[in-house]
Amino acid sequence: MDISMPVKNRRSFKKRSLSSKIIRYIVLIIFAIPMVLPLLWMLSTALKNNNSVFAIPPEWIPKEFQISNFATGLIQIDFWSRFSNTMIIAVLCVVGQILSSLSVGYAISRIRFPGRKLWFYLIIGSMMLPGMVSLIPVFHIYSSIGLYNTWWPLIIPAFLGNPFYTFLTRQFMSTIPYSYDEAAKMDGASHLQVLTKVLVPMCKPLIATMAVMAFQGAWNDYMTPLVYIVDPKKWTLSLAMGQFMSGNYGTHWNLFMAADLVYMIPMLVIFFLAQNYFMQGLGSMNASGIK
Amino acid sequence: MESESSTKTVKKGKFKSKMAKHEALVGYLFMIPTIIGFSLYVGYPLLTSIYYALTEWDGLLPPKFVGLKNFAFIFKTDPTFFKSLEVTFLYVIYTVPISLILGLLLALLLNKNIPGIKIFRTMYYLPVVLPSVAALVLWLFIFKSDYGLLNNLLRLVHLPPVPWLESSKTALLSIGLVKFWGVGGTMIIFLSGLQSIPADVFEAAEIDGASWFRKFWNVTFPMITPIVFMQLITGMIGAFQSFNEAAILTKGGPNYSTYLISYDIYQTAFVDNKFGRAIAEVWVLFVIIMIFTILIFRFSEQYVYYENDSFRK
Repeated sequence: MDISMPVKNRRSFKKRSLSSKIIRYIVLIIFAIPMVLPLLWMLSTALKNNNSVFAIPPEWIPKEFQISNFATGLIQIDFWSRFSNTMIIAVLCVVGQILSSLSVGYAISRIRFPGRKLWFYLIIGSMMLPGMVSLIPVFHIYSSIGLYNTWWPLIIPAFLGNPFYTFLTRQFMSTIPYSYDEAAKMDGASHLQVLTKVLVPMCKPLIATMAVMAFQGAWNDYMTPLVYIVDPKKWTLSLAMGQFMSGNYGTHWNLFMAADLVYMIPMLVIFFLAQNYFMQGLGSMNASGIK
Repeated sequence: MESESSTKTVKKGKFKSKMAKHEALVGYLFMIPTIIGFSLYVGYPLLTSIYYALTEWDGLLPPKFVGLKNFAFIFKTDPTFFKSLEVTFLYVIYTVPISLILGLLLALLLNKNIPGIKIFRTMYYLPVVLPSVAALVLWLFIFKSDYGLLNNLLRLVHLPPVPWLESSKTALLSIGLVKFWGVGGTMIIFLSGLQSIPADVFEAAEIDGASWFRKFWNVTFPMITPIVFMQLITGMIGAFQSFNEAAILTKGGPNYSTYLISYDIYQTAFVDNKFGRAIAEVWVLFVIIMIFTILIFRFSEQYVYYENDSFRK
């Protein structure tokens, strides 16, 4: 009697856990559909000819694949020159964000200078500041020194220690024991040497995360190039896609979707290669810091 | 004996102060990026825009002081500003809570180590990585009322088509859908929070025979309130400044039904060249965001649980 109870319980528990597993899978699949369907629809449209785009009911698998959409679509948005524009800007932004946030993050977590706490709070405070506040005054500065319609306003801020990345760096560095620094200082290392020779090698996951996020930020940015860059030759891809949508409203959707898909590809590739860095970077925003 | 030790400390003190000076110098050298960045992107804009908000200024000629005329105009004469405030409020109230609930729900679903869970995690997060413009261009096509994906699906189940972006009744609801498509960003932060809850907390609840809901409401949720709070703040600040949705999907239309305040500010400044008035609008937005932030902070003091109290101060 005493023994049969737990066995019965265990059995029903097993049953319950199996059915709860099945329910979980079903719900997971239900939510996965709206996440993935738009992308499949995009791929399918990008491969259709112009008539099938308007077919009702839609052809999910095109009767006739029109791969040439990609070539034509890319020419339409002058893809390659804009691709290299965006790439140059994005790479410079990545370099700038890493250099500046390592430098500032190191100062805040390792160097005792007067006002250190104050600067740390200022950095946190400026994370809360809505970006719209600085848009117009900063625009005025850049245009009055002749940098309107250049890439500089997109690149310079990356070298000026973005508050979020500096905060991440500071959090990450404060998890590294101070004894490493002290050992290096005993050997006569300067702060610069401690940073570059001791801490940077230990910050590799942080640097990778920041590189991915900074690249994504620059590749995706729309408002800054929209405000600063008028010359179509200097447009970024985001600007080119956006302007095209407002220009040729809804005629060749298959071409647009093909071009749009190619614009997404670098991000998709980086995502699949560096998935963990994406998730880590965002996960580290929680209050307990990077684990 | 006493004098000797005192000279020693003086020497030591001198040495120390020299070191401290050196440290301070090096510290400020390392801080240069932030010092310039903070001055340029925070200090200067905050200080000057108070003045600019009180001027008539086209960005080219020197600003002309006009007192509170800009504020009088946007609140009394300008028909679009109030509309944009109303639309933005609706958008924030509509998207922020749903994003939080949906994000938490998905995170709870994913927070179980079962086979294939990583594939689902990737699928849910995928829309977040896409460039916002690329995603919006895709959704523009999905929303097309005649041959877009959504109405095709409705047709499949014999429901009447919806004029997604083309009617002032549905446009704001529709642009919210795009935001919910990117809920993976909120989800992943909740997920990392859930995974950092120590397992023994649950074991205790399980021994007590707590139901799933009780475990969630009495154990899980209190543990992640700091993350809920942080997401509420960042989500709210972000939603108040949403721009791309209006700029790419609707141009603020139809009939100003998606005329989000950031889009209004952009139009006023860079299309109508009214910099002074646009900065006045920015100030209104800024004050609203601050009020909301303070309210949420106040509210959170009662409900947010901090495991480590030192985090608060």
